[in-house]
Amino acid sequence: MGKAALIAWREIRWEIFGDRGAVIRTGFFALLPILFVLSGRGTGSGGPNDISILVLALQSTLIPALSGVALIASTFTQEKENGTLVPLLASPVRDLDIVVGKLLGMVGPVMVICTGSLTVYYVLGLALFGAARVREALPPQILFALLVVAFLYLITAGSWVLIIAAIVRTTRAGQQIAGLTIGLSAALFAVLGVAAARIADGWALVGLGVAFVVADVVALEVARRVWQRGEVIGRL
Amino acid sequence: MIDVRDLSRSFGRTAALDHVSLRVEPGEIVALLGPNGAGKTTASRIIAGILAPSEGDVLVDGISVRADPHRVRQRCGMVTDQPSLYERMTLRAYLGFFCHLYDVAAAGKRTEELAELLGLADRLDVRLGAFSRGMKQKVAIARGLVHDPPVLLLDEPATALDPETARSLRSFIVSLRARHRAILLCTHDLDEAQRIADRVVVLYRGRVAREGLTGALRADSHPRFVVSFTGDAAIARDALARAGVKAEPASSENGYAALRFDADEPGTTNPAVLRALLDGGLRVVTLVREERSLEDAYFAIVAEARSPEERNG
Repeated sequence: MGKAALIAWREIRWEIFGDRGAVIRTGFFALLPILFVLSGRGTGSGGPNDISILVLALQSTLIPALSGVALIASTFTQEKENGTLVPLLASPVRDLDIVVGKLLGMVGPVMVICTGSLTVYYVLGLALFGAARVREALPPQILFALLVVAFLYLITAGSWVLIIAAIVRTTRAGQQIAGLTIGLSAALFAVLGVAAARIADGWALVGLGVAFVVADVVALEVARRVWQRGEVIGRL
Repeated sequence: MIDVRDLSRSFGRTAALDHVSLRVEPGEIVALLGPNGAGKTTASRIIAGILAPSEGDVLVDGISVRADPHRVRQRCGMVTDQPSLYERMTLRAYLGFFCHLYDVAAAGKRTEELAELLGLADRLDVRLGAFSRGMKQKVAIARGLVHDPPVLLLDEPATALDPETARSLRSFIVSLRARHRAILLCTHDLDEAQRIADRVVVLYRGRVAREGLTGALRADSHPRFVVSFTGDAAIARDALARAGVKAEPASSENGYAALRFDADEPGTTNPAVLRALLDGGLRVVTLVREERSLEDAYFAIVAEARSPEERNG
């Protein structure tokens, strides 16, 4: 997987940190938790309850992840449009290395943003909602679970949009379909999460987590199969 | 060495290549010519191991693209008509990245060597987005050479280059031939092909319309001659017509009147032309064989390859 790591490193170093605009846009994610905390302050007489604190933490973590899916789609479609995919496909790199490298190159930075956003929310929450309340509502295992959920979501949705990106020809089409995927996946995620929380004292959530992991594996395998370079190049 | 064997490739119902065979030996430049859609790019992509053939096979250095495309990619250097660079990267980082993809030992040294070779040594730490079109194309060539491949596939490498850069590129390609590289040059530029190619393969609608040595293709068509003389061109034309030779006006370098005519049998036709002109009171100054360009030969080959329906409509 050395070449996948190389491709991922190039994405991070040159396409993200090499683009000042991207870095500035990323900085806006830091504003989200501040807004959430400020909005949560006015909830009820004694501030937000435990569920509200959890929901706001979930939003702080997952909203950057949702945007990451669009990034994953655009990293492929832009390469197709610019023609830079051809030299990459002409090099002795396995199809799987390209898929995984591209995916990691976007998932890595987005996970850093998710973690940063959650951290900012947590620290602000401690100061404004009260340390005891926030520690009770967001114990370390919950914080860890939120990040795992964001990671699994990114891999699953990212793999599916990779499949789409292999098929469509333009960045615009890729982004439109990625937007649709984000909307549908967020709605599905919310419905399944609420439903699972009400079944068997919440134990169904564990089953949902397992289903997520299985969906990850399936999505990656389908992406690998669709991303046969011969088929991709045939659509350029 | 490239050995294309009975290669076909279809996209849906469209046949991009139809049973194409050709060879490129080490130390040889073969130009793949043909109009748009003839299948040149498809052929080069299959040879490069990035597009699977529908039928047939390609051997690159004896390795089948069907059996082991990964090893074929290690042996091919590909240069496309568009430089297609990651423009946020510096030249050093860009070539270093591709050196690592091709498992080149001492990537830093190789990067500096290539930059020196292509006259870009002073721009190693400049972002590629700031390069001119010609410099970007040089970078694309350097990218194709990072692993010093035995086979080079050049797809319109001189597109949009100024004449000086295009000329230096041609010299560079010729120098690679001297280093025993097998070079397949896909091009629309017939002048470029005529200058550097040893052999020419003309594709038309996915099929090989003609293949041969560049010089042989040029000489293959009917021999043409230009006769220059003093006197009235109309009288000369009538005199030739009476002798059974159809002639058309031509320009002569020495400022005399001139006519051009085809002569399948010059030993018979040319004396008849001279006699007719002299009998008509004209003074013949020169009679020379006209050198046909590859362009003339190419158009004749493509015209022959066209179906009767295409020719009529």
